[in-house]
Amino acid sequence: MNFDARRYVIVAFIILVGIIYTFRLFYMQVVDDTWTLRAQEIAEKRKEIIPPRGIIFDRNGKKIVSNRTYYNLMMCEDKIKHLDTASFAKLIGWTREEVRQRFKDIVKGEGTYYNKNSGKRTSNYQKIRKYPFIKELTLEEISTIVPHLKNFPGFFEQVTSMRNYPYANGANILGYLSEVTREEIEQDNFYKPGNNIGRSGIERFYEKELRGIKGIKYVVTSALNNAIESYADGKYDTTARQAPPLKMGMDMLIQAYGEKLMQNKKGCIVAIEPSTGEILSMVSAPSFDPNLLVGKRNISLNYPKLALDPNMPLFPRPLQAEYPPGSIFKLIQSLIGMQEGVIDENSGFACDKSVVGCHNHSSARNIPEAVQYSCNPYFYAVVRRIIQQNKKGNLYADAELGLNKWHKYMASFGLGQELGVDVSGQRPGLIPDSKYYDKWYGHHQWAFSTIRSISIGQGEVKLTPIQMANIAAIIANKGWFYTPHFVKSIGYDGALSQFRKKHYTKVNSKHFNPVIEGMRRVVNENGGTARMARMDDIIICGKTGTVQNPHGEDHSVFIAFAPMNKPKIAIAVFVENAGFGGTWAAPIASLMIEKYLKRKIKDKAKEQRIFEARLSNYKVAAE
Amino acid sequence: MRKDETLISHLDWPLFIAFMTMLLMGFATVYSVAYNPEHPNIYSFDEKYGKQLIWLGVSLFLGLVVFLIDSDIYRKFAFPIYLFTLVLLVVVLFMPAINGAHAWIGIGSMGIQPAEFAKISSALLLAKYISELSVKQQTTRNVLGAAMILLVPMALILLQPDAGTFVVFTSFLFVMYREGLTFDPIILGVVNSFPGVRFKETWVGSHFIPIMFVAIFLSVVTLLLSNVTITLPFISDIKIPGSMGVILTLLILAIIALVFIRRFGTKRDRSRATIIIVLGLLLGGGLSFGVGAGFSSLAPHQKDRIELFLGLKEDPNGKDYNRNRAMAAVGSGGLIGKGYNKASVSSVESNHVPESETDFIFCPFAEEWGFIGTLVLIILYMFMLIRIVVIAERQRAGFNRIYAYCVAMILFYHFAINIGMNIGFAPVIGIPLPFFSYGGSSMMSFSMMMFILLKLDSQRKDVLR
Repeated sequence: MNFDARRYVIVAFIILVGIIYTFRLFYMQVVDDTWTLRAQEIAEKRKEIIPPRGIIFDRNGKKIVSNRTYYNLMMCEDKIKHLDTASFAKLIGWTREEVRQRFKDIVKGEGTYYNKNSGKRTSNYQKIRKYPFIKELTLEEISTIVPHLKNFPGFFEQVTSMRNYPYANGANILGYLSEVTREEIEQDNFYKPGNNIGRSGIERFYEKELRGIKGIKYVVTSALNNAIESYADGKYDTTARQAPPLKMGMDMLIQAYGEKLMQNKKGCIVAIEPSTGEILSMVSAPSFDPNLLVGKRNISLNYPKLALDPNMPLFPRPLQAEYPPGSIFKLIQSLIGMQEGVIDENSGFACDKSVVGCHNHSSARNIPEAVQYSCNPYFYAVVRRIIQQNKKGNLYADAELGLNKWHKYMASFGLGQELGVDVSGQRPGLIPDSKYYDKWYGHHQWAFSTIRSISIGQGEVKLTPIQMANIAAIIANKGWFYTPHFVKSIGYDGALSQFRKKHYTKVNSKHFNPVIEGMRRVVNENGGTARMARMDDIIICGKTGTVQNPHGEDHSVFIAFAPMNKPKIAIAVFVENAGFGGTWAAPIASLMIEKYLKRKIKDKAKEQRIFEARLSNYKVAAE
Repeated sequence: MRKDETLISHLDWPLFIAFMTMLLMGFATVYSVAYNPEHPNIYSFDEKYGKQLIWLGVSLFLGLVVFLIDSDIYRKFAFPIYLFTLVLLVVVLFMPAINGAHAWIGIGSMGIQPAEFAKISSALLLAKYISELSVKQQTTRNVLGAAMILLVPMALILLQPDAGTFVVFTSFLFVMYREGLTFDPIILGVVNSFPGVRFKETWVGSHFIPIMFVAIFLSVVTLLLSNVTITLPFISDIKIPGSMGVILTLLILAIIALVFIRRFGTKRDRSRATIIIVLGLLLGGGLSFGVGAGFSSLAPHQKDRIELFLGLKEDPNGKDYNRNRAMAAVGSGGLIGKGYNKASVSSVESNHVPESETDFIFCPFAEEWGFIGTLVLIILYMFMLIRIVVIAERQRAGFNRIYAYCVAMILFYHFAINIGMNIGFAPVIGIPLPFFSYGGSSMMSFSMMMFILLKLDSQRKDVLR
């Protein structure tokens, strides 16, 4: 028998293996980067040096957010020798079981990595690696441990930096940091497990500006995790750079003062510098000390408490609470009416209480009087003219046209949409348009009489307090505004470009004068609704509002700006369930204005009354 | 004088040059991986490259000796040489264990490994034995005789223990297959012992070796796909389990093959090929099905072990440490590599890849030269192996041919397993990469093997043996 043909079987085997190996090597070395990444994990340690986070100053140069040194107690299992668990547990103030459990948790937690290919956590624990045993110890805590560490080889301390808030104010503005999630790591390769990221407020919005530039040092390490040499002679190494400081438009003095005024109350204060749109103060009451949410230990301890507090301190009311604006809405109605030409400055309407309830005053003969008296029937009449302009024969079609025109004006005041403040998580409020009512009542099923309560800022209309403050700023500016923002400069650069663009409303600036005159009278003339806000030497222009609340006591609102001729501050105060706007919101606003403009308060009794007020709806947390 | 001229003119230069190129590449890689900046000189005999240079010199000297001796002595003295290595294999068992194996004779780094030389002596004796068989080879006695030549050293090697070299000895089965010496007589004996069964030959028995490897390949693929469901690209709502996919692929391949044969085959070929294809399909499908079913009935810890080996499960710092590090080193080479002497994962100094100068020397090579380098290496090996087969087939003497095949298959095994374990295709068993790995015994034995082959080939026309 001849077996010569079998040589081809053998050659085929050789060639087959050669081809398979070639493809495999091509895949491993050129196509798939899994192994390259694995090799970097193994040998080319990227040592990342995280710079301290950027510092934040207030408008007067006070450092309001800085960094503080904390310490991690690290361990390296390979170097641990004869650990006396009992005395070690005693040293760090744990039980022996907790210490043993922590070792197990490290293997299962920090000792694993998320494997993208399998979608599972894969064990990567190595005895020669360093893992944090206890994180975020303060100087006081670590200083009792360090002197004894020589008895516990394998344990050592490592320095880390975390946020520090010298003032216990502005928690809802500044936000807090917490550890990055897996999704965030996948989205942005800047982050590594265990890194912190801005979770809310300024810290979140300006995350990229604050985090700085990581320093990266490439070293080739041996299997024993010792650095052998710097990779490529340090050619690719970069130094860590701290982010430039942020300067906020906020005035920490009045922020703290505002929070004190609002103690034991629910509500908010928003103050804006009209000429720049910088937010001077944004009080969300009740608030909390931002230092409560620094670091993993604090967060796990305090966050649940804050989240469960019935007064909802974590809820940033100025940005997210949507309230009906009440009578302050009448200011805009007057402006739109004049711009549309359906009324003029001297239009008068009788105070016809058969249309809608009103308090006792003589009929308003012009806009300033209408604003001064806050006459409900007057504004029903004004808004009826805006909505029903008789441009179409059909009443319903006419109302549709009128409402949509009205809606466009409202939009130009930044209402019914997110303002674009530099803090994430703001709400748009609600300004209804024809589509909105079509959904409720059906197409051509509604007219002014159906929706008339929007005339006086009730019904469907909803605004956030920051939008209310912005209305005050717009009126102070007579028709334009910068988007309210917190950060006025990033390093040597100014604010973000979107905050340097003037927005004009659709109302001509000349129409603002009668409204401002009305607002002056509200505070300064007999018969005005906010006499409690009056000051001798500063002319405050304001407008009160009392928001009907079906769930309880009415909300008290007041918006104002001052001084009248050269406005430096525009403010909105909203006190939940406080009743008439003139009683609580107006004096709080005037105290804020006085504090901001003069830095001290003359009328101590007025101040004291506010400090001591504890409104009925404020729940005292069960001890 | 005349003899030298004959040698030079009759030497197979392509093989010789490929061989020398590999020795150079190998030495360069050892120098790179073991490089110590304190002793940069290649003659630094404290360093591994210095020692490797000595081994290289010794090997070339032995080659010169081989070239000067008449090649007939290998045939004549095959048996004494074989016996001598057997004695060494016995002696080595009484030597102190290094790394848990009694593999070394001698002191420390200057010792030799008899197992390396047993490969040559077994090859020589096997060549002599088979070439001297009568024409009618396929008898049980002959097959067992050849098997005994292999089994004795294999048993001794397993006692060391040295699983790698043990496995390499199975490469001789390919040689036996080529020479028509298969296990068919034994299988026939068993099969025909049933009453009424009278086979002249079993196809499986006579093609046992290739069938075994195809079977192993199919089983591994089946296991790899056992946890996967395959979605067909065009009918997306039908999902089939992975092991069924193998059977389906086989079916499709069989159909294609049948169509081809109907079109292009002669009538006689057609019926024979059809039987082979259908039989192959049934066997392959059955095997795949059986492996899949068998695997799913295994106990969890057994499954674990298999999954770990196949890379379906990860334990990068535990049981899978070596292979994981090795694959990271190879894979991180990229297209053009990190550059000579720039290996970061697999340098001896960093010590991530254990044995990176010996059994895992492919790692630093692949890491430093990238895919370009590994492609060159594979092509070089392919060229060398095929060239040896070509040389084998042009021999007039059976002894020469069989010996050449032995060399080819030993090198093929070393190549396939060594590189396979670096790319996750073969289990991690310690065998060196010929001409590359650091170590005197393997360097000398592979060189001797090649020099003897070259010498035999150069004298192929001298005598008709």
